Amino acid sequence: MNNATTHLADFTEGVNKDHIPKYYGEALCNLASSDESVVALCADVAPPTESDLFKKIFPDRFYMTGIAEANTIGLASGMARMGDIPFVHSFCVFITRRAFDQIAMQIAYPKTNVKLIGFLPGITTALGISHQAIDDIALMRALPNMCVIEPSGPEQIDSVINQIYKFNGPVYVRQNRANRFYDKNELKDFEIGKCYVEKEGKDIAIFSCGLMVGESLKAAKLLNEEGINAYVINVSTIKPLKDPLICDIVNECKYFITAENHSVIGGLGDAIASFLNENKVQYFHSKVGLNDIFSEGASTDYLMKKYQMNFESIYKTSIDLIK
Amino acid sequence: MEKDLNYLINKANILRKHVIEMVARQGKGYVQQGLGASDLFSVLFFDELKNINIVSNINRDRFFLSTAHNSALFHATMAEKGLINIDSLEDYCLDGSPLEINVSERLGPFVEATCGSLGQGLSVAIGMALSAKRRKLKSRFYVILGDGELQEGQTWEAILSASSWKMDNLCLVVDYNNMQVEGSVDQVMSLEPLIDKFLSFGWNTISCNGNKITELLDSFNKARNCSNRPSVIIAKTLVGKGVDFLEGQLSHNLTFPQEIAKKALISLENFYE
Repeated sequence: MNNATTHLADFTEGVNKDHIPKYYGEALCNLASSDESVVALCADVAPPTESDLFKKIFPDRFYMTGIAEANTIGLASGMARMGDIPFVHSFCVFITRRAFDQIAMQIAYPKTNVKLIGFLPGITTALGISHQAIDDIALMRALPNMCVIEPSGPEQIDSVINQIYKFNGPVYVRQNRANRFYDKNELKDFEIGKCYVEKEGKDIAIFSCGLMVGESLKAAKLLNEEGINAYVINVSTIKPLKDPLICDIVNECKYFITAENHSVIGGLGDAIASFLNENKVQYFHSKVGLNDIFSEGASTDYLMKKYQMNFESIYKTSIDLIK
Repeated sequence: MEKDLNYLINKANILRKHVIEMVARQGKGYVQQGLGASDLFSVLFFDELKNINIVSNINRDRFFLSTAHNSALFHATMAEKGLINIDSLEDYCLDGSPLEINVSERLGPFVEATCGSLGQGLSVAIGMALSAKRRKLKSRFYVILGDGELQEGQTWEAILSASSWKMDNLCLVVDYNNMQVEGSVDQVMSLEPLIDKFLSFGWNTISCNGNKITELLDSFNKARNCSNRPSVIIAKTLVGKGVDFLEGQLSHNLTFPQEIAKKALISLENFYE
């Protein structure tokens, strides 16, 4: 029996094969144990969205809604209107692009207290362009009332979940699952709207979110070898983007890079540029991201290199901008 | 019963008068749909829905107008229920007024969702009904869906889920007036056999003449007494009902100048005599 189970394991679950904790799933269950109004909906992808933990512990508050994202969004809106706090789970691409009008009309416009939880952001899936969310930030940013968050990794997720719970309104979170263990001392804070300096610098600033924060830190090391001292800033809240720290750092450096696991159109890069424009900050800016092109199904490392989104590209783009 | 019936017929008549006057005032609004569904609204709001005008009551019944463009009729009904000021009907479709041409929740908390982007109302209602079931509330959830809306894929996602979850606190009413923007629903994209479709999806399926008060009362009674399944009332309505020269005229966006409205009011009086 055990052998059969092993044999039939779900390859999309891959990252959990070494019993790495479900950091998001555990954070949600902790929350739900102290508040009965927290409910979970899932569009047929419970294990890869870690909502299977919730399903097991709180079966009467878990709604398996099937492969029907449009309906799922409407259901969540209705539940929120009754006082529930629905966390809706799917892959980033399906929860945003597939149900965009439903989110606009039933979540963003009425400001219903719904938390959209997406996995597989950007090109971080081998399942191909159908599953790659390259425009989800752009779509969600464009909606009034919507808050858009991408934690740098599992180290921030517990704090993210607690903060979005306290925020009464619609939120979209895109996240990667853990592929390793995290120690308690690695955990990081998160506040909606706040940026986090991961590395101090002075010559150039690299603003990034999600897994690109790690790539940016690697790039900063390479830059350091060239005598270039780069800031690395984790911009985990893409909307509302309002931290004056961004202006201060760009005023100091003048040069900055944005690095995002998303199309270069409508994402973090555009968000920061328009924030600086509104604040009359002068700058030189280059974007690292998916350069207005569809990707393909392959490993993340391969795609990050091929589409010039890994640390080497951040490094090269930084050198090009400064020279 | 005789008295109740006359009361509901009279209410439907009042709603029809409002619709004609409201649409004629600005020359904007949906008159054919309003006249067609007045009997349905009369039965729903003045007989079926419980505590609908006590918005502080969590156990109140809820109503969703997925066909948000049937707004003249909806606003008139809200005024007759005392949920909005009757004088505000004069502001219908005026710039700045919350009485918009597509019903918006700007109007008040009794608008349970802003629809208008067709096919969405049923999903929201099911979400509320699921929450109510979990909280053991007595509320029932009523949705008016247009026939044309059933061409939206999302409605079938919702229909599938409601029977899967045995939502017996849910009552869907299909306002089957056989009219959409491009003409008759039959010709644009036929829904038939619609009864069979709902039956095969596991719904308690009731069909009636949506302009006959007695049939509507009977249908809602059957829906209310059904357990373990959601109910649908397929209510066949006649667009323009009550105004002889408008009955059956397929016009989604009918222009409605004052002189036509005057004739319509006279025709309506004759209809009810």
